[in-house]
Amino acid sequence: MLAALIAGLATGALYAAAALVYNVMFSTSKVLSVTTGHTAMLGGVFGAWFLQTWNIPVPIALAGSVAVGALFGLITDLVAIRRVLARSDEHLWLLSTLALATMVQQAVALWWGTEPKPFPRLIPQGFSSGLADQKYWLPVALAAVLAIGLELFYRRTLYGKLFLAMSEDSFAARARGIPTDRIRALSYVLAGAMGGLAGFAAGQLTFAYFALGLTLTLNGFIALAVGGLGSNVGALAGGAALGILSSVATYYLGGEYQQTISVGLLMLVLLLKPEGLFGARAGRVV
Amino acid sequence: MSVSLRRQVALVAAGCALATVPWWAGDMYQLHLAQLIGAYWVLIAGLNLVVGFSGQLSVGHVGLLAIGAYTFAILAGTHGLHPALATACAGGVGALCGLLLGLPSLRLPGFYFAMATLAFALIVSEIILAQSDLTGGGVGLAVPGFPAPFDTPQGTYWLILLVAAVVTWLTWNVARFMWGRGLIAIRDSVVTAQAAGVPVFRAKLIVFVFSGLTAGVAGSLFGSLQSYVTPDTFIFELGLFFFVCIIIGGRGGILGPLVGTSILTALPELVAPLAKLGTFFYGLLLLVVVLLVPEGIGRLFELALERLRPRKVESAPVRPDLERLSAAIRKGQR
Repeated sequence: MLAALIAGLATGALYAAAALVYNVMFSTSKVLSVTTGHTAMLGGVFGAWFLQTWNIPVPIALAGSVAVGALFGLITDLVAIRRVLARSDEHLWLLSTLALATMVQQAVALWWGTEPKPFPRLIPQGFSSGLADQKYWLPVALAAVLAIGLELFYRRTLYGKLFLAMSEDSFAARARGIPTDRIRALSYVLAGAMGGLAGFAAGQLTFAYFALGLTLTLNGFIALAVGGLGSNVGALAGGAALGILSSVATYYLGGEYQQTISVGLLMLVLLLKPEGLFGARAGRVV
Repeated sequence: MSVSLRRQVALVAAGCALATVPWWAGDMYQLHLAQLIGAYWVLIAGLNLVVGFSGQLSVGHVGLLAIGAYTFAILAGTHGLHPALATACAGGVGALCGLLLGLPSLRLPGFYFAMATLAFALIVSEIILAQSDLTGGGVGLAVPGFPAPFDTPQGTYWLILLVAAVVTWLTWNVARFMWGRGLIAIRDSVVTAQAAGVPVFRAKLIVFVFSGLTAGVAGSLFGSLQSYVTPDTFIFELGLFFFVCIIIGGRGGILGPLVGTSILTALPELVAPLAKLGTFFYGLLLLVVVLLVPEGIGRLFELALERLRPRKVESAPVRPDLERLSAAIRKGQR
């Protein structure tokens, strides 16, 4: 039972990290990007590639994975977001990010193979340490670091304040002289870097697997919708709740109905509290 | 020759060409491809009303296809029901699942809805794997074919063509009258549609249930074409493929998605390098279309036609009777 709880918390931390990535992109562009999970997938796959094929030391491989994620974030903004937002059709960003996500996933499948490959140890540790294993506490530590770092970034730095201004009202921010296009690109780079970091840290839990992206996009979104769109505390709470619920359910019912249970949680929250646990209720502008 | 007569002639010619495919198709493989296009089209024609007309981006219709195929396989194969009856049951079960999926998820905004349908597709394959007593689990299930006169490849083709024609006719009737206008209004602006008296949720739900029905029927046709189904037959990429066919063909039409379906099904089979890239190619095509021509490839043909044969613009110049006017003004001044 304790093992199920801890494994669930670790998975939930990864979902929470994906939800934080959603939040960063959503704050400046009001876009929920399908590519969210794929940034983490790229982080994991490239991390394994750097570490295993090239035998690069861990810190440099970490920097490389984060750089790959950041680059992918920038590409997402340049290719799939910029032109589409200029057209202001609300369906199109879903289509363009879906297309980009599909292309990345298939490209990785062709290059890396469709089998999950093991991710090497980051910190020297035996395999007999049970629940204190690094694959459980690394994602949890990562989610905490990401959330605290994001909060400090929003409160203490000028760029964080620009992000907040854009999430409040993008037009007003533009009128005050904020280069909104550049800030949005920056937020995508930041989100990509966070996703790459998350994929790298959780690599031992998830393995380097090409189809991780779509699962993470879905589960990160469920965590986000449960916790409340735009809220970082909600992202953490939603991720933890989702991870623990699905692993406890697996413990009692077996692993066959995992997806059904997590979607059941989503539907329940959306029926009872449509704005999520920590979300702000959005009024419709008339 | 008037436009409607020309259209009728084109329709009859296309019908004859399609009905005689078994004679001029080069080999059995091409006939199989034509059957596959027909089975896909039965699903896509229904999905088109959801995606192309009412603008609800459902990426999970492969789940409904799987439900139809497994219902058909279990009823006609395991229980020995007559295939026609089993097809009807597959359609009914598909419609029921569409209702169950649509009731909660159609209330959600765009991205939430897309994620709910994606989750539905994953849930269906999870349940198929879990209920291995019923579905054979990962091993799969044999699917029977249709009885005579539909047991030859030609017969199967004509059966599929008949079903596809009926479904196309149904969707065309929905599309061109009040319903179609209402759905397009929902797609373009929900608030405006509501203000104009379109019952938004009910209209969306009804076309979604209809698409579930066509997906169930398509599932039974698809299953008997494949003759053996496993959960791996119904991967998420197949759902993405249906979705891409409609977006590429053009939203808000029937001919565009039909052409899109035919080309996208046939192209990777006929051009070998594309088959290897597969889903990557669909993603690339979707990206290019969304960025360059969001109205779909059909729009390009329209533009080219207009370039070739510019539309005559009726000009009705207004010639005021100046003398009467000036007389009236003078009279008024006095």
